Amino acid sequence: MTELLERISACVEFGKVDIKSPYPPAMKDQEGAFELTRQALDAGIKPGEILEEALIPAMSRVGQKFSRNEIFVPQMLMAAKAMSSSMTHIKPYYLSGETKRRGTFIIGTVRGDLHDIGKNLVGMLIEGSGWEIIDLGVDVGTDKFAEAIEKHPGAVLGLSALLTTTMENMRKSVAELREKFPDLKILVGGAPVTEDFCRKIGADFYSPDPQGAVEYLKTLA
Amino acid sequence: MRVSYPYSELLPGCDALAATMGYASGEAPEPVTELIREVSAELVQFGEAKAEYIIFDSVRCDRVRKTVEVEGVEFSVKPIIFSQLRDAAAAALFICTAGPEVGERSRRSMSGGDLLRGYVYDVVGSEIAENAAERMQDSLRAAAAATGMNITNRFSPGYCGWDVAEQHKLFSFFPDNYCGITLTDSALMNPVKSVSGIIGLGNRVRHREYPCRNCSEMNCIYRRRFK
Repeated sequence: MTELLERISACVEFGKVDIKSPYPPAMKDQEGAFELTRQALDAGIKPGEILEEALIPAMSRVGQKFSRNEIFVPQMLMAAKAMSSSMTHIKPYYLSGETKRRGTFIIGTVRGDLHDIGKNLVGMLIEGSGWEIIDLGVDVGTDKFAEAIEKHPGAVLGLSALLTTTMENMRKSVAELREKFPDLKILVGGAPVTEDFCRKIGADFYSPDPQGAVEYLKTLA
Repeated sequence: MRVSYPYSELLPGCDALAATMGYASGEAPEPVTELIREVSAELVQFGEAKAEYIIFDSVRCDRVRKTVEVEGVEFSVKPIIFSQLRDAAAAALFICTAGPEVGERSRRSMSGGDLLRGYVYDVVGSEIAENAAERMQDSLRAAAAATGMNITNRFSPGYCGWDVAEQHKLFSFFPDNYCGITLTDSALMNPVKSVSGIIGLGNRVRHREYPCRNCSEMNCIYRRRFK
């Protein structure tokens, strides 16, 4: 059983989606995350175990390698795709309540900003660490964030901005949401965002890379 | 002066595109290089980038306020850019776009779940827009040289400390929807794969290395591009 979990973990780490995926060459013609996860469930391994012992450690290694510039965005996207193929088998257990998430993370790019690659990456890594992701997309106004927070009590919020102009909208959203939801934990990120800006606008956490957000969330769950 | 370039003349090679994504030569994984080749082959079939520049014969540079005034419109370009424009006798304002297609393909791929393909379109689109701006700058350099002038580097709102909101002032010099580019309230260009900015002209200016070491923006695309 442990061997099966290790194989799933390796498939996710190296982006081996399914048996048809030719990458990585060393795993060519071998089963990928999709098939192995099915096999693991059929063999009686609990979905939570697959998540905790295979998927989460794999995505954590991916995030760490990305932070150290050992891999780049494309490999992270490939790993996320492999994880997603595994999750197709696990998601039904979340819906039935048999497996619990660590929490809910609401994410969106602030009003006026249409950039989403960074936001998507953060969302994927956080999903891989066991959180439910509510992705509100791009150009999201404060009202839409507030609506999602009301719908998911206890959720953590992540705001992304890639323009200096839209950082101002981030500031406004944080201020308005803070007033309405004083206990809400808010993470901010994006190329022009800094630790200093995070502090000034009253957000709770800033990380220059996605893994930092994952590590911070571990302290909350 | 309006110019257009087919994508075939602007697409960088696979290695150069992989380098933009962070990979050292020959180190990008196979699916990435395969996808780069596939996307490049697809885009080369149909695309064309457009660029336009307008030369203004006189500019006023305020050394105290670090501003450049063009026809009564004052650009607060901040110290890094001002240091390169301060001796300009004239200035060219430019806009340049890879067009909507590449950005739309990126969005479609992303929303369809193919994030890697969407990302590759995005990177290729950025490079096409930058290379088109480079070609436009070459054409401006030749025109300036014919009148005995040099040109500076090109600088865009949002970089080197220049507030991106000043994009609105820059666009006021061009008719609405010029080259098919529109500006959102937050100064984001649409199509997203577009570049705009200013270039100084004169006898006492010159093209220099980009001053990235003087800038605090560590995540800037130009820091990576010109390193």
